[in-house]
Amino acid sequence: MIEVEGLHKLYGEFPAVQGLSFQVGPGEVLGLVGPNGAGKTTTIRSLAGIIIPSSGRIRVAGHDLALDPVAAKAQLAFIPDEPHLFDYLTVEEHLRFIGRLYGVPDVSARIPVLLEEMDLRDKRGALPGELSRGMKQKLAIACGLLHEPKVLLLDEPLTGLDPVGIRRMKATIIRRAAGGSAVILSSHLLHLVEEICTRLLVLQYGRVVAFGTMAEIIASRPGLRTRSLEDVFLALIGQDEAAGA
Amino acid sequence: MIRVFGYLAWRSAHNRIARQLRHLRSPRYVAALVFGLAYLWFTFVAQRSGTSQHEVADGRWVELVGSIALLGTVAWSWIFGVERRVLKFTPAEVTFLFAAPVSRRGLIQFKLLHSQLFILFNALLWTLILSRERFGLSPWLRVVSIWVLLTTLSFHRLGASFVRTSLADHGRLGVRHRVVSLIVLGAVLIAWTWSIAEALPQLAESSGDSPFAFLPALGEAAARPLPTALTYPFRLMVRPLIASDVTDWLRALGPALVLMLVHYVWVVRSDTAFEETAAAVSLQRAQARSEGRGQAKDARSTGRITPPLLRLAPKGWPAGAIFWKNLVAVARTRQLRKVALTLLLGGALMAALSFQLEGGSLASIAGWLAISWAAATTLIGPQWVRNDLRGDLLKLDLLRSYPLRGWSVVSAEVAASTLVLTIIQFSLLLLGYLAFLGDQLMEPDLRQRTLLLLAAVIFLPAVNLLGMLIQNGTALLYPAWVRLGSGGPGGVEALGQNVLMMVVYVALLSVLLLLPLAIGGGAFLLLRGAIHEWAAVPATVLILGTMAFEAALLVDWLGRIFERTDPATVGIG
Repeated sequence: MIEVEGLHKLYGEFPAVQGLSFQVGPGEVLGLVGPNGAGKTTTIRSLAGIIIPSSGRIRVAGHDLALDPVAAKAQLAFIPDEPHLFDYLTVEEHLRFIGRLYGVPDVSARIPVLLEEMDLRDKRGALPGELSRGMKQKLAIACGLLHEPKVLLLDEPLTGLDPVGIRRMKATIIRRAAGGSAVILSSHLLHLVEEICTRLLVLQYGRVVAFGTMAEIIASRPGLRTRSLEDVFLALIGQDEAAGA
Repeated sequence: MIRVFGYLAWRSAHNRIARQLRHLRSPRYVAALVFGLAYLWFTFVAQRSGTSQHEVADGRWVELVGSIALLGTVAWSWIFGVERRVLKFTPAEVTFLFAAPVSRRGLIQFKLLHSQLFILFNALLWTLILSRERFGLSPWLRVVSIWVLLTTLSFHRLGASFVRTSLADHGRLGVRHRVVSLIVLGAVLIAWTWSIAEALPQLAESSGDSPFAFLPALGEAAARPLPTALTYPFRLMVRPLIASDVTDWLRALGPALVLMLVHYVWVVRSDTAFEETAAAVSLQRAQARSEGRGQAKDARSTGRITPPLLRLAPKGWPAGAIFWKNLVAVARTRQLRKVALTLLLGGALMAALSFQLEGGSLASIAGWLAISWAAATTLIGPQWVRNDLRGDLLKLDLLRSYPLRGWSVVSAEVAASTLVLTIIQFSLLLLGYLAFLGDQLMEPDLRQRTLLLLAAVIFLPAVNLLGMLIQNGTALLYPAWVRLGSGGPGGVEALGQNVLMMVVYVALLSVLLLLPLAIGGGAFLLLRGAIHEWAAVPATVLILGTMAFEAALLVDWLGRIFERTDPATVGIG
């Protein structure tokens, strides 16, 4: 569903991402983890077509992102950690706006379903200024889900959500994956990653430190067998002493 | 504490400038800088020797026009202003300063100090802009004069906004707190109304022939005792600018400085309770802004969300959604319906008055004003109407994630602001046309005026489109150097920057209009002998066709730049 080959991103001399290659198939949820500055956001924004890679190839549902960006972007949704909304469009108008952009055929039928799923039914006529941080995040997620993307890119999706919202969001991600979407999720919340991700990609200094299922990663490092995900993560990024503390 | 504030203001300005200069690593920015410096040198330095032959501008006229312009600006800030720009705190300032052991008065002083950097920069720009005009003294003395003027004006606007907000927030209590300010304001308003009523017949009589006959009449009207008293503080502000020697300048500067200090005391020693409110409002706004919701405040404050004028069809050109979104934003911020209703009623009234003998003069003043504004918006409009890429570039991440080609995004964005500007101009022109509808003696006659209106209707959209492409192109090419966001082009303090930008804009627009006018004009001259005035038709088609071709090339080029723009590299998104 999404294939990444040799992705490099340089900012001047600084390599933000170096030689990243992986694939995420339908139904898979890939967890992108790593310390601050590891290159997670750069990776996810490159996959969304927002920033242009220095080299490498990204294919979304068979479409090359560089050669056919419109077709590739039509198949994916990017939900950033900070919801970017238009100040003067109401909740419902945001969804209608996205529906037109992505050519969603039955937008009027999908809107009530999504508003119900995101618990935003009572806010359909509200402007972003009238929404709480969590509600804005839910609206951004609803916008991302409206066109039923084949690839879902989520950057810290639980930021600002209350416990009910977090539970709903986890259920939403799992449901989309079960429906055949490929999901890439960047998060510092290791328990979230452990709970819903089928595979992990651990980044540090823009390089892949580990890639695979949790079992595969632990199998490649027998010393980590009995340790928690947090300890495994710290060991992978070379912070064992922090794990000990 | 003032040293801490000074440190913060100085270091922030230093680092900001250093960050802007770092963009000079990009050849594109270097090219712009070289072009800008060459342009400034050519305009203001290389031609200086020629300007010495210019006659010294008549100080009396500068004083008159300047003081009336300042009076108008101040009146605007009292009637329409909700300006609290100087008191807007950034999220970081709210976090660190509001929680620190600093009095609210100290915070206000900090913001006034901070605004000084901006005012000083614009004073320098104004000095550069006015350097070819030979009134006044050396540039250094002029910088001081302009700085005093802009600072006084800035303080006045802030004081006015305090009074306005106090009344709005506290009602009767606010009236009690602001009794002195309100008495002064009331007296000024009465004097103003009286002066206008007294001068109106004379002004109206003089405006019938041409707008130029209006100026001497204005001078005579302003020389009467009441208008002289009314404009006296503004004359004090202008006088240092037109002083002929150092002694004269020092004599003029004293009263101007006193006026500035009086304003400073007025603002800083305002009622503490109100300052608390103002600071609290700033805090809320800064917090709202940090959560990205600040701009929706206008729409919210109306209590009711304006339904969109047009419903977005679910199918069609995908980028049409962006065009629709930008029009919705204008309708919800500019209170479009009220403006449209006012223009409609104004137009009907002007048309009715134009047939009356007594009302005709009044209609002609309004008519000339409307036409002048329409002409002015051709130059300042593209800076002022910003519901396009300039408003949306801060959300570049989002725009780049949409399944749209760059040219598609650019054309939708630019089309929205072009449409809004064109509607404003058409409304003003129509108002002007209606104001002279009953005037049988006017030259040009009604047929010629109708043809002129038709020509404006045909050409203005194309000119506006090219103008908006220049403005959006500048934002796209130099996002780090251009102010992004949908807000207006800044207050009076920012006028220097805006004038400079407008001069560059006019130069670029002239270059773009050169080819269409040459082709259209050539065709007209060639065909006139054969088909007489009908030659205007193919000439018009050729002009519009060439402009459309230029616009298409620009859209395509800017679209490719949009697709190549990396939000992280340019420092946005």
